[in-house]
Amino acid sequence: MMLKLFNPPVSGGRLLAALLLAGLLAACDAAVPQPELGVARAKADQCVEPTGDMRRNHMQYLLTHRDETVIEGIRTTQHSLVECVNCHVAPVRADGSAVHYPDKDHFCASCHTYAGVKIDCFQCHADRPQVMDNPDYPHPLSANRYHQLASGGGTTVSLSDMLAVSGMGSGSTAGEVRP
Amino acid sequence: MSDGLQQVPQRNQVDAYRRHFMAAVTGAATLATLAPGVILREASAATRPDVTARPPEQPATSVVRWGMLIDTARLGDGGAAMVAACRREHGWGHDPRASPEQQPQWVRTVRVTDKLTQHSFTLPVMCQHCEHPPCVDVCPTGASMKRADGIVQVNKHICIGCRYCMMACPYKARSFVHEPLTDQRPHSPRGMGTVESCNLCVHRIDTGRIPACAEAAPQAVIFGDLNDPDSRISQAVQALGGTQIRADLDLNTGVRYLNI
Repeated sequence: MMLKLFNPPVSGGRLLAALLLAGLLAACDAAVPQPELGVARAKADQCVEPTGDMRRNHMQYLLTHRDETVIEGIRTTQHSLVECVNCHVAPVRADGSAVHYPDKDHFCASCHTYAGVKIDCFQCHADRPQVMDNPDYPHPLSANRYHQLASGGGTTVSLSDMLAVSGMGSGSTAGEVRP
Repeated sequence: MSDGLQQVPQRNQVDAYRRHFMAAVTGAATLATLAPGVILREASAATRPDVTARPPEQPATSVVRWGMLIDTARLGDGGAAMVAACRREHGWGHDPRASPEQQPQWVRTVRVTDKLTQHSFTLPVMCQHCEHPPCVDVCPTGASMKRADGIVQVNKHICIGCRYCMMACPYKARSFVHEPLTDQRPHSPRGMGTVESCNLCVHRIDTGRIPACAEAAPQAVIFGDLNDPDSRISQAVQALGGTQIRADLDLNTGVRYLNI
């Protein structure tokens, strides 16, 4: 409204535009919808940093940590993406279906969809915990069988029974090698 | 390698090699029969592991250089078990839409036959973890990198998928991922548009475990620190040598072979 004071000869079009903008802003202020975060399977009371800090800066933590890990071999778990997923994502839903990052109920995707920010991590990284590495996840199909395999129980386990591992065969290709 | 006549030793030499290698693998059990150069220090060899875990906050250093010695004569299956272990560990080889030629392969078995004598052997071939890796030389972004401890790997965060490194590698050790993937192994991220290859199971080494392939063939593979003169692998290569593939390229590979 300061605009009107210092610019007395306001045309009708500009006034209308200003009023519309003001109305739009007011409407936005009134009701900002909250994101519906996916179900977090958090094991601890608090995240690795204060919650507000994580909301703003988790990408910086991940960015720094990834370079330290890949290039230098530093494998602390505090800012590790694997640990994020282990804590925040359950491997399957209650009905047994897999949770993947394009789904809106994936913990990361739920907020990233809301914010309209594309997430690249899971094109390469596992987007949910896997039973072979986390036997404490009671997946009905794999957990017991994997324990049998690990303890050498003699049971032949089809690896396709396990999440993410299928099609195992001899698979090696014999070929000629140059002298 | 196909001129194997020069490299295949006499029969009695083979036996001596195998005896020495056996001794190196099994430790001090057969000390009495060994030449002095092969004797492993009993205490250290028996108790000290090949890989010791670093504290997680400590970076890898050039004090160590990881290497692997593979005795093809003791493999039995030519390395198929090693390949299977690698597939299981890293989850490659069954990308749903890739044709067989496109399937990534971090390690493969290669059968070599001398056309004249028909002598043949099979060896597993993976990234040889060169001291002077050609893939690192050609990479335009620095994604193909050699870690301080000698592990050659792809930093997929900055790989643009140009595949120069695949062209440069004399061992055909690298693969390209052509399609979107899901449910990768948590400790081995793989994704479309990036090049990948054996990384010596870097996630295992950093936590004090040996690579999956070495674990799958303990009778034939010694893994360890080539810079440590007291390590099993250093003593074995000192006593028995260890052939590099394409030694003519002077790449000083970290993976060495016996009986090829």
